[in-house]
Amino acid sequence: MMKKNWLFVLALVLTFGIVLAACSEGSSGDQPNESEAEGSDEGEDEAASGEPQMGGTLTGAMDTAPAGVFNPIFYEEAYEDNILSFTHESLLSQNKQLEFKPNLAKEWEINEDQTEITLTLEEGVTWHDGEPFTAEDVVYTYKAISSPGYVEAGGIRTDYVVRLQGYEAFNSGETDEFEGVVAEDDHTVTFKFAEPNVTILKDVSFPIIPEHIFGDVPIAEIPEHPATLNAGEVIGTGPFKFTEMLDREQYVLEKNADYWKSEPYLDKIVWRIVEQSVMLGLLENGEIDFIADPNGVPAADYESVAGVEHIELIEQTDFGYQLMGFKVNHRSDADVEAGKLEPENWEANEDMGEQKIRQAMAYAIDRQAIVDNLLYGHGSVINAPIAQQFWAYDKNAVTQYTYDPEKAKSLLDEAGYVDTNDDGFRETPDGEEWVVNLNYPTGNKLREDSAPILQKFLEDVGIKIELRQPKEMTAYVEELTNDNTDWDLYLLGWSLGSGDPDPSGLWGADAAYNYSRWNNEQSETLMQEAMQAPEAFDQAYRKEKYSEWQSVFSEDLPALLLYAQNKIYGFNKRLQGVDPMPYSFINDPEKWWVTE
Amino acid sequence: MYKYIIRRILVFIPMLFALTIIVFGLSQLAPGDALTGKSLADPNVDPEVYEQQREALGLNDPIYVQYWRWISSAAQGDFGDSLIFNGRTVAQLIEDRIANTLYLGLFSLAITIIVAIPIGIYSARKPYSLLDYGATGFGFLGLAIPNFFFGLIAIYVLSINLGWFPSQGTLSTPGITGFEAFVDRIHHMVLPGITLGLAGTATYMRYMRSEVLDVLGSDYIRTARAKGMSDSNVLYKHTLRNALIPIITLMGFEIGVLLSGAVITEQVFQYPGLGTLFLSSVVNRDFPVVMAIAMILGVLILVGNLIADILYSIVDPRIRYD
Amino acid sequence: MQSNTESTLPTEPENLPETNAKKHKSPLQLAFQRFIKNKLAVISVFVLLLIIITCTAAPLFTDQDPVATDLFQIEKSPTDEHILGTNGQGQDNFARLLYGGRISLIVGFSAMFFTLAIGVLLGSIAGYYGGKVDSVIMRAADIMLMLPFLVLVLTIMAIIGEVTIGLFVTIIAITSWPNLTRIIRATYLSLREQEFVLGARAIGASDLRIILKHFIPNAIGPIIVNATLMMATYIIVESGLSFIGFGIPQPTPTWGNMISEAQNIRILRDHPEAWIPPGVAILVTVLAINFIGDGLRDAFDPKSNRR
Repeated sequence: MMKKNWLFVLALVLTFGIVLAACSEGSSGDQPNESEAEGSDEGEDEAASGEPQMGGTLTGAMDTAPAGVFNPIFYEEAYEDNILSFTHESLLSQNKQLEFKPNLAKEWEINEDQTEITLTLEEGVTWHDGEPFTAEDVVYTYKAISSPGYVEAGGIRTDYVVRLQGYEAFNSGETDEFEGVVAEDDHTVTFKFAEPNVTILKDVSFPIIPEHIFGDVPIAEIPEHPATLNAGEVIGTGPFKFTEMLDREQYVLEKNADYWKSEPYLDKIVWRIVEQSVMLGLLENGEIDFIADPNGVPAADYESVAGVEHIELIEQTDFGYQLMGFKVNHRSDADVEAGKLEPENWEANEDMGEQKIRQAMAYAIDRQAIVDNLLYGHGSVINAPIAQQFWAYDKNAVTQYTYDPEKAKSLLDEAGYVDTNDDGFRETPDGEEWVVNLNYPTGNKLREDSAPILQKFLEDVGIKIELRQPKEMTAYVEELTNDNTDWDLYLLGWSLGSGDPDPSGLWGADAAYNYSRWNNEQSETLMQEAMQAPEAFDQAYRKEKYSEWQSVFSEDLPALLLYAQNKIYGFNKRLQGVDPMPYSFINDPEKWWVTE
Repeated sequence: MYKYIIRRILVFIPMLFALTIIVFGLSQLAPGDALTGKSLADPNVDPEVYEQQREALGLNDPIYVQYWRWISSAAQGDFGDSLIFNGRTVAQLIEDRIANTLYLGLFSLAITIIVAIPIGIYSARKPYSLLDYGATGFGFLGLAIPNFFFGLIAIYVLSINLGWFPSQGTLSTPGITGFEAFVDRIHHMVLPGITLGLAGTATYMRYMRSEVLDVLGSDYIRTARAKGMSDSNVLYKHTLRNALIPIITLMGFEIGVLLSGAVITEQVFQYPGLGTLFLSSVVNRDFPVVMAIAMILGVLILVGNLIADILYSIVDPRIRYD
Repeated sequence: MQSNTESTLPTEPENLPETNAKKHKSPLQLAFQRFIKNKLAVISVFVLLLIIITCTAAPLFTDQDPVATDLFQIEKSPTDEHILGTNGQGQDNFARLLYGGRISLIVGFSAMFFTLAIGVLLGSIAGYYGGKVDSVIMRAADIMLMLPFLVLVLTIMAIIGEVTIGLFVTIIAITSWPNLTRIIRATYLSLREQEFVLGARAIGASDLRIILKHFIPNAIGPIIVNATLMMATYIIVESGLSFIGFGIPQPTPTWGNMISEAQNIRILRDHPEAWIPPGVAILVTVLAINFIGDGLRDAFDPKSNRR
C-alpha cells in the first residue's frame, strides 16, 4: 500500500516534470527558430532594399470570428471590418492627419453654405465581378441606408444619412424619390443636405455597395442575401476579393488583379480565428504573420514579443480611452420607467454631484503610474475625451490633475469631508459614514485589474470605497443606463470614430451615452457652437471652441479619463510595405508584399 | 419493446415543453437583451436605432406573447432568426456547428473506449501490476486536472513548441475535400479530442477494471474456470459481456458530460461547435439560439438515455421492457 | 438541519435499543474500521487536513494581503517579500494561493453541503412518500437533467450577470441536486418494504423519525461517497468556469482564477511560479478527495472492489 502511494507521487512528479521539461525545452527550442529567422532576416534586409515581389500568402489572426455579415451597410463589428477593409472602398478616405483625401472620388466641390457637395468619381473602376463602378452605386448605397425598413432589418448606420435632404420623407415612405443623393452623370454625384453641414466630408465617406447586385433586393432581405453572407459572392471594389471561408475559422481574401489603383503584390490574405491565449505563440512560431485590430498585442506581452527576432511591432495611439465616471446626476424613477432623458428632471447625486470631490479623486489617482505599470508604459494620460490624433485635441487647455494626494486631501477637507471618528476614513459633512461605491464590468482584463488599484489610491486619501462585484457587460450596461440606482463611480471604455471629434454624442446632456448624466450649461453651449454653421466651417474656429470645451470638461470633470491605451500591431518581418493609418492597420494592402 | 420505446418518446414531449418554459423564463429574467451589449460598440450610433430594432423584433412585447410566438413557430420547426448574427436563421447557425460537435464527441468517445477498455481489462487481469498502478494513477490525474488547463498545456507543448498537432479550428485550409480533408480533420481533432475525453477515459478505465474484477470474482466464472475453460475464453465469452453492461449505460449518460466539457474544450481550441456557439450566445443574450441549443441538447440527452436503456436490454436479455 | 433534529431526540425512550445495537457495531463503525485499513485513503485524509489547516492558518504563513494590489509590483518574479512573485495586479501569489485555497475549499464544501441538503431532503420525500410527490420531484429532476450541468450553470450565471461566492454555491446546488436525489430515492425504495421499517411504522413511529433513524443511516454510504466526489468536482468546475469568465471574479482569490490567469503563453513560459502551485494544489486536493471518496465507497460497500 505504501508502495502504491509512492507510485502516485512519482506519477505526479513525472507529469509535472514533463510539463516543466517541455517548458524549458520551449524556451531553448525557440533558439533555432530565432537564428533561422535571423538568417532570413538578413536576406530580408536585402530584399527590403530591393523591389517588391509578386505573390505569396499572408496569414492574419483575430481572436473572435466575425458574425458573418459582409456588407458595409449591415455589419456591426470590428471583426467584419477586418475583412471589409480589404474588399470595399469609400468615396473618400482619411490620411494620417485625419484629413479627407480622394479615394473612389478623385475630386469634390462644396458649395458656399456647405449644403451641397459634388464629387467626381474615378473612371475605369470595376467591381469584383467586372461590372463598372458608377454614380448609381453611390446613390443606391445611400438610398438603401435611408430607405424605410433599414433599421428594422438590423441596420445601424443612419448617422451617415439623417442630415441628407429629404431623408424624413423618403424614410417614412411618403415618397419614392430621394433628393439627398443625385447622380449627375455616370461619374458625378451630388449630395444635398437639409442644413449647412459641418461634417460633410465624413458623411460622404461611407463604403459603397454595388447597385447591380442589390438594386432589386428589398431592404429587409439584404442581410440574408448570398452577396452579404457568402464568400465568393461578396462584391466590392477593393484590392482583395473575399473568395473563401471556413465559417468561424478562416476567411480567405484573394487579390483583385484588376484593382484600379495597382495590382496587389500578394496573392492571398488569410484571416484565422485564434484563441487569444495562443495567438502570440503562433506569431512566434511563424504560423501567423500579423496581429492587428481590434485588440493587437497586449501591452504586457510587448517586451517578450519585441525580443523575438523575426517580429516587428508598430505602436500607435488608439482612438479609445478608459474612464472612471462619476454619476453626477441620477434620473428619477419615473423618467427611467418612461425611458426619458430630461436633464431638468435630474437629481444631483449626493457627494458625487460635488465638483470638489470629483477633482479631489482625480488628484488622488496616480494615472501616470497606472500607465507605466499596468500598461507597461504603452499608453498615455489624457484629461479630456477628444482623441489625441485629432486637430481638436488641446493638451494645454485642460487641468492636468498630476498625482497629488496632498491636494486631494485638502480639497476634501475644504468640501467638509473629514475623518471625525478616526477610523482612517472621511465622513460626510453631516458626520455620517461616507462610502463611495465603485462599479465595473468584466470583459476587459486591464480594466478589471485597474478597479482594485483605483480603490487603493482613493482609500489612501481617506475615501472609503466599496468595490462592487464586477458584472457581466450586458447586465452592467443595463444598470448603467437605468440610473435610478445608488451608483457613484463606474468604469467604462469608449472607442471613438476617426471621422470627427465632436464629443456631443457621449457628453451632451441629453445623450444616452452620457452615463454620468452630466449637465453643464457651458459645455452644452460650446459643443453646440462648435457645430454651428457657418462659423464652424472654419476649422480654426471649431478648434478654439473645443479647446474651451476641453477646459470646461476637465474642470468640471464628469469623468476622470484613466488612460488611452496604445494599439500595438505585431507582424512577421517578412511582411513589407505596411503603413498603418492612425485608425487602422489595413491601409493600401495592395502595396503589401512578402519576402519568401 | 416497441411499446416501451414509443411510451418513452411520448414522455419526452411534455418534458421538452417544460424545458422551453424554464429556459425562456430564465432568459426573460436576464437584465438587458441582445441589443444592450451591441449598443456600446459604436458611440456614433444613435441609441434610438436600437430602440426601433427592439420594437421591430418584438423584444418589448409581454413575455407570454413572445413565448407564444416562439413556441408556435418552433413547433413548426422554425427557430427564428439570430439576434446577434444578423441575417442568419438559428437553424443555419446550428446546422453549421452541430456536425463539428458530434464529430468531436464521437472522436473523443472513440479515443476513450480504445484506451480505457483494454487498459481497464488488463488492469483487472493483472491487478497491482505496474501498469495497473500507472493506469490508476493516470485515471485519478485525469479526473483531477481541469480540462482547459490540460488543453492549454497540450497546445503549448505539442502544438506550439513541437508543432505536432494544429491547435485551432477544424481544417488547415478551406476548400480541401475527400480523404485529404478527412485526415486533416482528424489531425485537428487529436488535441481537443484527448482533452475532452480525458475525464471520461479515467472514469471508464476505473469502471471497466472494477466490473471485470467483479465478474472474474463471481461464482460462475470460477465454475467455468474449474471446468477447464481457457483464460481468454473465460474473459471474452463471459466476463466482457457482463462487464460491458454498466459501461454502455454509462455511455448513454456520459453524453451530457461530453457536451458540458465541449463548452470549455471548444473554447480553448477555437473549435467551432455548439459549445462555443452556446457560450457566445448566452453571453450576448442571443436567446433564440440559446433556446434552440437547449432543445437540441435536451433531445440528445434523452435519446442518449433511451439508447443506453435499449442497448442494456440487448446486452443483458434478463432485462425486459414492456 | 439534520443534526438539530437529532439532538432533540435522545430524551426519547426508543433510544435505548440503539445503544444496545452499538455493541454489535453500527454500519458506520464497521465502515470506519474498514476505512482506516485503506492506507491511501487515510493518507489522503491527512493530506487534505494539512491543506485545510494550512489554508485556514494562512495568516501564520504570510503577512501579505491576498487582495491588496500594488501598482509597482506587477507580475514580478519571486523575491523574499513575494516568494511566489506577484500577479497582474501586483497581488502576492503566495498569499493568494493560501487564501485562494480557503475560498476554493469553502466553495467546494458549501456547494457540496447545499446540494446534499437539497438532494437528501427531496430524495427522502420522494422515496419515502412515493405517489404524487414522488412523481413531481422526479419529473423536476428529469427536466433538470435534460441540460448538461455546465450548460445549465452557464445559462443561469450569464443571466444573473454577477457572480459572488454565495450565488455561485447556490447556482451549483440548485443545478446538481437531481443525481443525488435519484440515488437516495432508489435506496429508500429498496428499504421501504423491509421488515424493520414496517415494524417501526406499526408501532406508530413518526415519518421524520423513521427517515432519520432507519432510512438515512442505511443510505449514508452512497450519500457520503457522492458528497466527497461532488466536492472534488466542484473545485474543478469553479476553475473551468473561471477560464470562460464565469468563475468567482477578481479580486477574490481562488485556485481556479489563479490558474486561469495563466491562459497566456508569456505567463505559462516565464512565470511557472504563478500557475504551478495552484495547479498542483487543485491536483493534490482533488486527488486526495477522490481517494477518500474511494476509500469510503469500499468501506460502506465491502462487496465492491477498489475502483
